[in-house]
Amino acid sequence: MPRHPGQRFALSQRQAAVVLLLPFLAVYGLFLVYPFFKGVWISLHDWNLMEVAFNPDAKAYVGLENYERVMWGRNIVWGALASPVLQIIGLIGVCLSLFLHRTGRAGRTTALTMGIAAVLLFVLPGFHPGEEGRWFDRRFWPTVGNTILFVGLAVPGVTVTALLLAAALNGETRAKATLRTLFFLSQVLSVTVVTLIWQIMFSPRQGLIANLTELFGGTPITWLTAEGFAMAAIVIATIWWSLGIAMILFLAGLQDISKDLYEAAALDNATGTQAFWHITLPNLKRTITVVVVLQIILHFQVFGQSHLMTNGGPNDSTQVLVRYIYQTAFRDSDLGRASAMAVFLFVIMGSFSILQFVLGREKDQ
Amino acid sequence: MKRTILGATALLLAVTGATAQEVTVGRFFGDCEDAGTDTKASVGEACIIQSIINAADAELDGVTVETLPTDWGNYYDQIKAAYAGGTPPDVHVMHRHRVPEFAGIGALADLTDDLENAGIDPADWEASALEAVSYNGRIVGVPMDFHANLWHVNMDLMEAAGLVENGAPVLPSSPEELLEHAQAVKDATGQDYLAADFAQFPLGVRMVLALIWQQGSNVFDGDTATIDTPEARNAIAAVTQLFDAGLANPQLNYADSQQAFLNGEAAILVNGTWVVDFYASEAANPETGLSTYHAADFPTLFAEGATWADSHMWAIPSPLKANDPETYAAALQVLAFINDHNIDWARTGHMAVRTSVLESDAYAALPHRDEYAGTAEIARDTPPSERYGAIQDVLNRELQAIWLTGKSVDGALSDAELDVQDLLDR
Repeated sequence: MPRHPGQRFALSQRQAAVVLLLPFLAVYGLFLVYPFFKGVWISLHDWNLMEVAFNPDAKAYVGLENYERVMWGRNIVWGALASPVLQIIGLIGVCLSLFLHRTGRAGRTTALTMGIAAVLLFVLPGFHPGEEGRWFDRRFWPTVGNTILFVGLAVPGVTVTALLLAAALNGETRAKATLRTLFFLSQVLSVTVVTLIWQIMFSPRQGLIANLTELFGGTPITWLTAEGFAMAAIVIATIWWSLGIAMILFLAGLQDISKDLYEAAALDNATGTQAFWHITLPNLKRTITVVVVLQIILHFQVFGQSHLMTNGGPNDSTQVLVRYIYQTAFRDSDLGRASAMAVFLFVIMGSFSILQFVLGREKDQ
Repeated sequence: MKRTILGATALLLAVTGATAQEVTVGRFFGDCEDAGTDTKASVGEACIIQSIINAADAELDGVTVETLPTDWGNYYDQIKAAYAGGTPPDVHVMHRHRVPEFAGIGALADLTDDLENAGIDPADWEASALEAVSYNGRIVGVPMDFHANLWHVNMDLMEAAGLVENGAPVLPSSPEELLEHAQAVKDATGQDYLAADFAQFPLGVRMVLALIWQQGSNVFDGDTATIDTPEARNAIAAVTQLFDAGLANPQLNYADSQQAFLNGEAAILVNGTWVVDFYASEAANPETGLSTYHAADFPTLFAEGATWADSHMWAIPSPLKANDPETYAAALQVLAFINDHNIDWARTGHMAVRTSVLESDAYAALPHRDEYAGTAEIARDTPPSERYGAIQDVLNRELQAIWLTGKSVDGALSDAELDVQDLLDR
């Protein structure tokens, strides 16, 4: 007698969950977890890309030497005022977080996160080579600095522009819908196309910006080769490129805000800027946090803009971490050292993910 | 519609599938759409090489050739990643300066004993071409050209400044004269004397290197970096004096500097042999600012003649020879075809590698060829090194820092010396 098929394959909820999760876990494990641990493993070796491909025995275990060669140097000392500006900002940050916590203006986690960031800002820039000393890799920390500067400019740039656009384009008219699509369009382009467009825009000879400058009697700026403008140029291109997603997130957030609030405010004569400031912004707090943290994690991985528009120049002023990793791995074939830098980048991005987790939880309480 | 696609696919399979041996080709030189198969009509590096490859695909029996998409700027990264992943193209182009890096670990097939059978005669290659493709006494590639830095000249601007004698440009013989000539051009025409890519690719590096070699010095010697030297300072000063006097603009990249020259805004463009045919065809175009074009040897500003030079060559990965004799044989046929078309490749402006081609009338008749006949004599490069690419990048970064960001020459040279020493020590 045939058994009822439903009975035969009856699974408990837990079993069903495992079965359904299995495809995801397999792909996740194979393409993310395994390569990650392999990367950490490679970072502990002297591993030449080409040599190991032809002779698997050509690698040698070196422990943490790659990390030392990348991040440390000879005769590195610490000084409380080695780079005064950053360290003083760090000190002020420590005091501020203590003050905010004491006066009850910041929650415990917020104050703690701020405090940790401030302490790091005080401690880390204090390291410098002493007499007769030098960094083993004199370009690594400046490259990290450039990456942070890029993130520091691009993230507020994207967030503010996207927020303003979203607020302006939130509505049901056809014009607004068309404009929303237009602003999102740049997001779907690949980095090669985006950088090509902006290289032409910034070109001092044929570029739109140069033509406009000349029209108003100015001398065109050579954006991509001038030290003061190259970083700005890749930030501008990045903002234009990554507006779309942030704008969509903000639009979703805006649509969650009840119309009643605006109507009530309108009765009190609060419209336009006032309504934006007192109703829209506070209600979007959570969306803003999400957008900012996502953007931070995304932009730490900047590569194409720097690689294709400025080649990291001039004088390394737009050299960023992922490009340095790429060059070390593929140009210099030094996979071990490149993996050590990649692990460092992972730690930075990982700490921002934790931050998002912490901030998200605090809001729930 | 579906039926059409199926039919077309079936037809395609019937035509190419059964017998043809497919050879994949990796190359730089840029893209050329519709290169055709006429190797005599195409213009510019990209189109000439693609027309040769297309002709090989059409004319070689039982061999189809497929050009893989590659990007010039990241070519070696791509090729190395392909080698590391075990999927290199069956045939690929490379520079002579990369031979130590690739052949040093046994990545390139030893072609020495197979060339003759494939119809390639190494005895016809110039001695220096044979040397370029040899590693430890074995032949690991088929040379395609010598290329070098030239001075491309706008004769109208030079004429206006009184710098033409007997139909040839008068070029400087010392750094002081360089400045005088530059000033003369500025005074007579208001245009810059010299343009080059000082801001993107290492063309400025190659110019400074030539001036260092002209003084009998070099940037490294064996395992020792020798960058922070009086010779390097002289070489850099010869270039920066033009920037300081406003007679050249360091901020132009490759495309912009070329455009400046073609617009008639610079009397000299320092660039390679690869653009001679392109500039000649642009000069013939009445719409471009450049109308009288001349190609000249890189002038000697110091004691001895020297200009940066390199070679393009074709190689086959060693795993292909070891594991797939049929494709290897087909790949050799493709190399033989390219070798047979050395004269066509020389139309770009590059110097040929085969004695029979160099001595031919067709070669002598190529436009502007006689104007830079001295270049082969003065061709130079840095010593062979597995770190060539990284060393070039260091020099490019530090030299650009000098003229683009005002970094002190002392600071840049000592940083460059440290960085290159680090690379040599690795």
